[in-house]
Amino acid sequence: MKEVIDINNVSKYFGKFKALDSVNLRVMRGQKVVICGPSGSGKSTLVRCINRLEEHDEGDIKVLGNFLTNDRLCLDSIKSKVSMVFQQFNLFPHLSVIENLTLGPIKALGISKKEAMKRALYFLERVKIPEQAFKKPNLLSGGQQQRVAIARALCLEPEIMLFDEPTSALDPEMIAEVLEVILDLANDGITMVVVTHEMGFAKKAADKIIFMDEGKILEENIPSNFFKNPKTHRSKKFLDQVLNH
Amino acid sequence: MIKLKYILALFFIFSFVGCSGNSGNWGWYVIDPTTKSGLANIKFLVGGFGATILLSLIAALISIILGLIVALPSFSNNVFFRSLNRIYVEFIRAIPLLPMLFWVFYGLPVIFQSLGLKIQIDAFWGAVITLAISDSAFTAEIYRAGIQSISKGQREAAQTIGLTQYQAMRYVILPQAIRRILPPLANQFIYIVKMSAFASVIGMQELTRRANEIVVTEYRPLEIYTLLILEYLILVLVISFGVRWLERKLGSDESNSN
Repeated sequence: MKEVIDINNVSKYFGKFKALDSVNLRVMRGQKVVICGPSGSGKSTLVRCINRLEEHDEGDIKVLGNFLTNDRLCLDSIKSKVSMVFQQFNLFPHLSVIENLTLGPIKALGISKKEAMKRALYFLERVKIPEQAFKKPNLLSGGQQQRVAIARALCLEPEIMLFDEPTSALDPEMIAEVLEVILDLANDGITMVVVTHEMGFAKKAADKIIFMDEGKILEENIPSNFFKNPKTHRSKKFLDQVLNH
Repeated sequence: MIKLKYILALFFIFSFVGCSGNSGNWGWYVIDPTTKSGLANIKFLVGGFGATILLSLIAALISIILGLIVALPSFSNNVFFRSLNRIYVEFIRAIPLLPMLFWVFYGLPVIFQSLGLKIQIDAFWGAVITLAISDSAFTAEIYRAGIQSISKGQREAAQTIGLTQYQAMRYVILPQAIRRILPPLANQFIYIVKMSAFASVIGMQELTRRANEIVVTEYRPLEIYTLLILEYLILVLVISFGVRWLERKLGSDESNSN
C-alpha cells in the first residue's frame, strides 16, 4: 500500500496559540482514518492543512507525492484530487443542486456540460436524492443538504475525501442518513479522513483512530483497541464522556 | 413638549390668517397653471428635470464603474494595494461636495492650462466628474461590504471543488454579492440625485438653478421653492419605488423559486 498523506512534525500557530504541535500522521491509500478529541484540540485545523485551507507553519505535509508549499502549480495538481465536506455544508445558495454539483467538474476539470450532468445525476442517486436535483439547496433539509455536499465532493472523483465534522450541524434524526451515505462510500475504497464525534461510525468504518488534545496526537490506534483499552488517561476520560451520554 | 405644541398651533393659525387675507404673503399665482405667466413659469421649472436626471444618471454610471475599480484592491492580500483603497476612500469621503465642485470647475482647468492641454470643463461635465468621484468612495465601500458579507465558507467550498480564485469570484462570490450590492447601490443613486442640486452654483441649468432664476425675477421664494421640493420628492419617490421593486425581485430570487 502506498501512502497518500504524510504529515511530518507539523505545527501551526494562530497568533501565539499553538493549534498543532509537532503532529505526525501517515495515511495509506484506501485507509479510513477517524480523528476525534475534545473541541479546540486541533482536529479541524489538521484536516484543513491537508488541503491547504490553512497553511502549516512548521514541518512538511506531503499529499499524493507533492509537498504542500505556496507554489501554485503544486497546489493546482492536488486541488481537485482532495475534496472536502464541511460541517456547515457550504452549498452555493444561488445555484440549484445540480449546478452545485456540475460547477467544479465543468470549470476545474474542464469536462463537458453533458458529461458533468451525467456524473452529477449518478452521484445524486448514490446519496439517494436524485429527485431534488433541480431545487435550490435551501429548500432541502439539513441532512439532504449535507448529502448534496458529499455528492458535490464526489463529482470531482477525488482520491482523498476529507470530512470536517460532517454531522455536527445536523438534527439527531438526520445524522443517521448522512452517516449511512459516508459508510457506503467507505466500502468503496476511497481514502478518507473523518473528523467526527460519532463513535459508532468510528467503530464501523475506521481502520485507524487518532485521538487529539491540545494540538497533539495523543493516541493512534485501531478501533477495537482504542475502545477497549485506550492508551492514555486523556483518551479514556474522553471516551467515558462520549460513550456514556 | 406641550409648549412646543402651542407654538406650532400658533404658527399654523398665523399662516392661515395670512392665507385667507389678501395681505400679499402668499402668491401662488406665480405657478398657477391657469394663467399664462404661471404656466410659462411651471414649464421653465419642470424643464430642469431632463438635466437633473441626465446629470445624475451619467454620474451614477461612472461612479458604479469607478467604485468597482477602487474596491478591487481592497480584496488583495497585498498591504500596499489595500492601503491604496483605504487612502482613496478616506480622502475622497472627507471632501465636502461643494468645495470639490469649485475645485474641479475653477481649479482643474488651471492645471490643464499649465500643462498645455486644451481641455474645457463646462458646468455639466464639471458636475458629473465631481458627483462621480465623490460618490465613488461610497460605492466602493458598498462593493467591499457586499463581497465581504459572503461567508468564508463559500470561498473555501469553491476552493475545494478546484476553482481558481478568479473562478470562485466569478461563479460563486459575485453572483451572491450582487444581490446584496444592488439595493444599496440603487439607494446611493438617490443621494446623487439630491446632491446634483449643487450643480446650480456653477450655472448648470438643472432643477435648482431654474428655480433660483425664477425666484430672482418673480421674488416669490416660498412658492417656487415649494414646487422645487415637490419636484425632487417626485423624482426620489419614483426611484425608491424602483429600488423596492428591485429588492423584492432579488429577495424572492434568493429565498424560494426552484
